[in-house]
Amino acid sequence: MNKSLQQKNTRYLLVWLPWVLLAGTFIFYILMNEHAHHMQEQQLKLKQENVWNAFLLNPEVRAFHIRGEYELEKGVPLPKELMNKRRDTAVYYPGEKEWVRFGILTKPYSYKGEPFQLTTYISSKEITHLIIKVLFAEAFIFILLLIAIVIINRKSSRVLWQPFYDTLKKIKEYDIIKNKAIQWTGTTGIEEFDQLNQVTETLIRNVNQAYSNQKQFVENASHELQTPLAIIRSKVELMIDNPALTEDTARLLTDITDANERLSQMNKNLLLLAKIDNNQFSERSSIHLSDITEKLLSYYEEYYDGDSPVIRKKIKPGIFVPANASLIEILINNLIRNSVVHNLPGGWVDIQLNDHELVIENTGYPIPGDTEQLFERFKKGREESKTTGLGLSLVKQICDLYRYTLHYHHTEGLHRIRVIFGNGGLQNSSQIDP
Amino acid sequence: MKLLVIEDERSLLESIIQYFKQEKFVCESAGTYAEGIRKIEDFQYDCIILDINLPGGSGLQLLKYLRQDKKTDGVIIISARDSLDDKITGLDLGADDYLTKPFHLSELNARVKALIRRKYSEGKSILELGNLKIDLLARAVLAEDQPIGLSKIEYDLLLFLATNKNRVVSRQSIAEHIYNGPSEQVPSYEFVYSHIKNLKRKLKEKGCNTILQTVYGLGYKLLS
Repeated sequence: MNKSLQQKNTRYLLVWLPWVLLAGTFIFYILMNEHAHHMQEQQLKLKQENVWNAFLLNPEVRAFHIRGEYELEKGVPLPKELMNKRRDTAVYYPGEKEWVRFGILTKPYSYKGEPFQLTTYISSKEITHLIIKVLFAEAFIFILLLIAIVIINRKSSRVLWQPFYDTLKKIKEYDIIKNKAIQWTGTTGIEEFDQLNQVTETLIRNVNQAYSNQKQFVENASHELQTPLAIIRSKVELMIDNPALTEDTARLLTDITDANERLSQMNKNLLLLAKIDNNQFSERSSIHLSDITEKLLSYYEEYYDGDSPVIRKKIKPGIFVPANASLIEILINNLIRNSVVHNLPGGWVDIQLNDHELVIENTGYPIPGDTEQLFERFKKGREESKTTGLGLSLVKQICDLYRYTLHYHHTEGLHRIRVIFGNGGLQNSSQIDP
Repeated sequence: MKLLVIEDERSLLESIIQYFKQEKFVCESAGTYAEGIRKIEDFQYDCIILDINLPGGSGLQLLKYLRQDKKTDGVIIISARDSLDDKITGLDLGADDYLTKPFHLSELNARVKALIRRKYSEGKSILELGNLKIDLLARAVLAEDQPIGLSKIEYDLLLFLATNKNRVVSRQSIAEHIYNGPSEQVPSYEFVYSHIKNLKRKLKEKGCNTILQTVYGLGYKLLS
């Protein structure tokens, strides 16, 4: 499962740091104990010195002892290897009815040729208590430390990785069509991130360059195609005017003409697409949408003169959009044309325009397969030779440019295209209804 | 009528020349900027058909030069550039018309004829074809001095065919010529058929001897 950098970092810290701190606590305990024993030994030795000196001042007292303090015995009963070493023992106090732990040290002495052994006692209870208290304090400090490390780490990594997140945000905002400039603000102060920015910048510059070359290529290619197309057209025109024209030749010429016309139309549309891509329709004015729609519809009615499907319209007057006049005309013309050309004999077209959308509904042949592809270049709903396959992709391109949402819906023999103006989908401005 | 065609594409140039020779024009041609300049300096033409991209210079420069020289030859630009800006630039420099490639020769012919009519025959605005008269100013058509009621489209259609009389005019060029909708894209060529049908019927009703012929599936021809 993917986690953010910070989460990952915190997780590592939380998994490993407690073990380190635990090990630290253990070592600390051992060291403390060691030191405590050492200290006790020193104290025992000092006490021994004092007690022996006191004994020398008053040597008549041959043997004496005080419980929990010292014990002087004649003779040396203790094995030699235990001499001068701190040992642990416990002494029973009947008054309190408890065993108390002591650290003891036994040392051999001789007085006037007689051997003695002196054992001194120091209670271990206090030092043990102290060690426990210190350990608790240490554990508390360690927990504080753990929390502090995690918090500081989170904060510092947030600061440290900030340039990375900035870069990420900029790359996310990058769009080859709408937002192609990426501007880095100075250096980040971190070598790796500066490198990342540089590499990204180069990459994006190359991508933009390739894209712009590509667009330029399409535009140039379409331009260059115009002349040969004009030549073919002119030659065919001269041929059809030839008095020796036979019906067979005429039939061939009809096909050539049709193909050539389609080619020029396609080329025109390609050029138009390239120009939209190249942002050559950037100037906008307030376009009277109702007016243009009415006008285009009247042309269709006029030119088709009864051959066209029945056109029903409900157009709200006085609707304006900020756009380029030619593009809006192409948009609406292509939509109307589409609904008329792909209609059935005796079919109808229903057009509605209101403040926020244009809806064109028409009868037509059912479209097999994926309708989403209809808006891609050179995708046709049906194999028909009279269309260019670019009409709807122009529609999509223009909708994308103005951020209109495009909906296409199709049920058996009924097609509906909706163009929603205004604050349509900013990111993905074309959606197809399921 | 004298015509100069300045176009570097040899093949297209030949087509244009051939077409206009059939229209009884005296045609000259130039394939480069320098050749064009030389010809416009030496002769006067009724109409110059001018391409913009020429070897050795731009057609627009040539046009500028022509107009600075106070020459009033009619100029029709033919260019692959189809943006509105290009058209405006061309017309601002003194071109009389602007046609984008690929164009139909019949369309070019109609433009040339219209230009010549505008420029040289101000008073004469009646086009006669047998017993058919087209009054260009009033946009009216008379057969045997009887007015024929034509729709705007039918009138445009008839005028276009009359301008290209005795020639086969293709369906496509008719469609592109008479469709003057707001969009450059002609919705479809099919509509031409029904308008031709109506026009034929109306001409017949008035006993007009001008014959509108259908040439196979290719186009139409108006015989005088």
